[in-house]
Amino acid sequence: MNRKTEPASPKEILITGFGGQGIVLAGQIVGKAASLLDKKESTLTQSYGPEARGGACSAQVIISDRTIHYPYVRRPDILVCMSQGGYDRFADTLKGDGTLIIDQDLVQPAAARGSGFFAIPATRIAEELGRRMMANIVILGFFTSVTEAVTADAMRRTVSESVPRGTGEANIGAFNKGYEFGLATLKGRQKKAEGKKGVR
Amino acid sequence: MNDLKIVLFICNWGPHAAFQMLQDSCRHMPHQVRMIRIPCSGRMSRALLFKAFETGADGVALVGCEPGSCRYGSGTGIAERNVQDTRGILELLGLGKDRLRLATFLPEQSEALLEFLQQFHADVERMGKSPVIPVPKTQPGESGRDLAARILTSHDIYACQDCGKCSSACPMSLCGKPFSPRAMAGSIIGGNIGSASVVSDVWSCLTCGICYDRCPSAVDFPRFIRDMRQVHRRAGTAGQEAHEGFFQALMRTMTSPDLDIRHWDWLPEDIQVDGQSKTLFFGGCAPYFDTFFGRTLGVKTCDILIDSLRLLNFFDIFPALLPGERCCGHDLLWTGDRDSFIRLARLNVDAIEERGIEEVVTSCPECYRTLAIDYPEHGIPISFKVTHIFDLAEKEIDKGAIGFEKLNRTLTFQDPCRLARLGGPGELPRKLISRLKPRGFEEMRDRGNSALCCGNCAWTGCDSYTKALQVKRLRQARETGSNLLVTACPKCQIHLRCAMEDPFLGDEIRMEMMDLTSIVARTIRWE
Repeated sequence: MNRKTEPASPKEILITGFGGQGIVLAGQIVGKAASLLDKKESTLTQSYGPEARGGACSAQVIISDRTIHYPYVRRPDILVCMSQGGYDRFADTLKGDGTLIIDQDLVQPAAARGSGFFAIPATRIAEELGRRMMANIVILGFFTSVTEAVTADAMRRTVSESVPRGTGEANIGAFNKGYEFGLATLKGRQKKAEGKKGVR
Repeated sequence: MNDLKIVLFICNWGPHAAFQMLQDSCRHMPHQVRMIRIPCSGRMSRALLFKAFETGADGVALVGCEPGSCRYGSGTGIAERNVQDTRGILELLGLGKDRLRLATFLPEQSEALLEFLQQFHADVERMGKSPVIPVPKTQPGESGRDLAARILTSHDIYACQDCGKCSSACPMSLCGKPFSPRAMAGSIIGGNIGSASVVSDVWSCLTCGICYDRCPSAVDFPRFIRDMRQVHRRAGTAGQEAHEGFFQALMRTMTSPDLDIRHWDWLPEDIQVDGQSKTLFFGGCAPYFDTFFGRTLGVKTCDILIDSLRLLNFFDIFPALLPGERCCGHDLLWTGDRDSFIRLARLNVDAIEERGIEEVVTSCPECYRTLAIDYPEHGIPISFKVTHIFDLAEKEIDKGAIGFEKLNRTLTFQDPCRLARLGGPGELPRKLISRLKPRGFEEMRDRGNSALCCGNCAWTGCDSYTKALQVKRLRQARETGSNLLVTACPKCQIHLRCAMEDPFLGDEIRMEMMDLTSIVARTIRWE
């Protein structure tokens, strides 16, 4: 899996979804965690329609060890999709060996994907935790464990600093839930690769 | 006094004549052998055989008639089965099966009998004294009346308003037994501690806790009964122990600290355990149950332990095991033998803490309640966390990426009292069931808080009314149209299986059963 190797070149991340899902905030958190706490270079550009809610929207983050000269994402290494529209629009731009992360209840991927494909019912998990709007934080936790593009500690600190006051604990809970889900997914894949499906 | 104690149970008919022949001809027999004449070797139940060891015998020989020469026909065959089962128990306890032996002789085989006795004596001598220390009879310290008064106050039985909600919900009353919790409470308050009806009622309560659940004054009836049994035990008004008190005797035997118990010797090799782990799996008495009931009921409660361990391994948890694990003491506590319970609890807690265990996982609802609630409540603090395996599994499954294989069965669920009402994680079984992929899941008419007991508790008070209760429960299970009865306690399986043996009802109440842990373990998959 490519996630183990340190990125030699800049890592381009594209997060897409509806307006109102917290896509831009998610991008901000990733960028802040990478630059302020992981001490790397990062940029964020965002694009959103005029609608406050419901329109397509995306956040583009680049994380690099060296100075970033061009802040737009052209061929993402990691594509996070929280809406079908975002997926349809950007799926083709993903690099061949890139990582695709989707909310499995909101996005129907075109074809079966290989080892770079990860799915999580982020919105459903957030609903179970009591607040649907935390779906972005859940998917960030998942993103953190499966891609290791940023460290979990940096993400946790940034999450608690970035969310509205009083919701820090709930959001950290949501982050951890997604993070655990990612670890479990990786563990399950590893077990399957070893030929262990069930208890025996 | 360090002499060996060897008991020789000898059948009145054939071999006793041989024994008399030895006596008449003044042959030298090992003087440690004490002969007890019995009517038939087949009448020596497993409880009677075991009781000899509980009370300090180093060796027991059961001598009967040669097969085919039994006066009653089937005696020798029954003796063989009883001895085999009891030997299995002795082996688990680490006493060694060879301390109990069965032999058969014809009346004229006195020489062979002498040779057998000498050989057995030599064998027992080689094995040495039994490490079992007989439990002294409970001393009636505090008077029964004082103790009863204290129990009445501490459980606030005076709060009973005589409203009758308990009697209208009590599964025993509903099965027609002349039994009423509030009437009993009233009698005891009135000072009739030792009257025949009170004694009988105290020992026939199932302690299932429905009355407590319904009581508007929150009178904790199960705990009250539990403590009243202490009063009666001290007064010598013995309980109605099932299986002739075999299990209570077994548990009392386990209070001997020097026993080299071999609780886990039978474990399959593919199970990974780690002696250094800070997580311990506490199995419970399943190996004893299977040895005792395996032949007659065909129950395999050890499968629950195997599946629990496989499930833990699936989650990458490799727990420690106590090789000399003892019974948690639940059944002793609930049949009034508090002193032995405390001895067992100390031994268990010491053994667990000696290993620096931080978390104890168990799949038995009774072990769970006893370790987590009753140990601290009886002055034995615990430094570890007690987790029911359902709790652990739910948390692990909830992390995600775990699914279940389809199960082509329709399920229904028998709630164990200790989970549904008395301190356990009551909602968890259903949460786990909802994660499974069975063909269907149908609840029984009485379920959850209102679930009917499997009919017995702590091996006491088994009678025709409890049987009626079990049949009623199984009929409810069949009514759902399900074809797999899911249980969560090894005892539910044993008791309900026993009821299914009814020769008249037969297929009407028969149903396959499986523990929830086993179903989870056998269908769980990485997604």
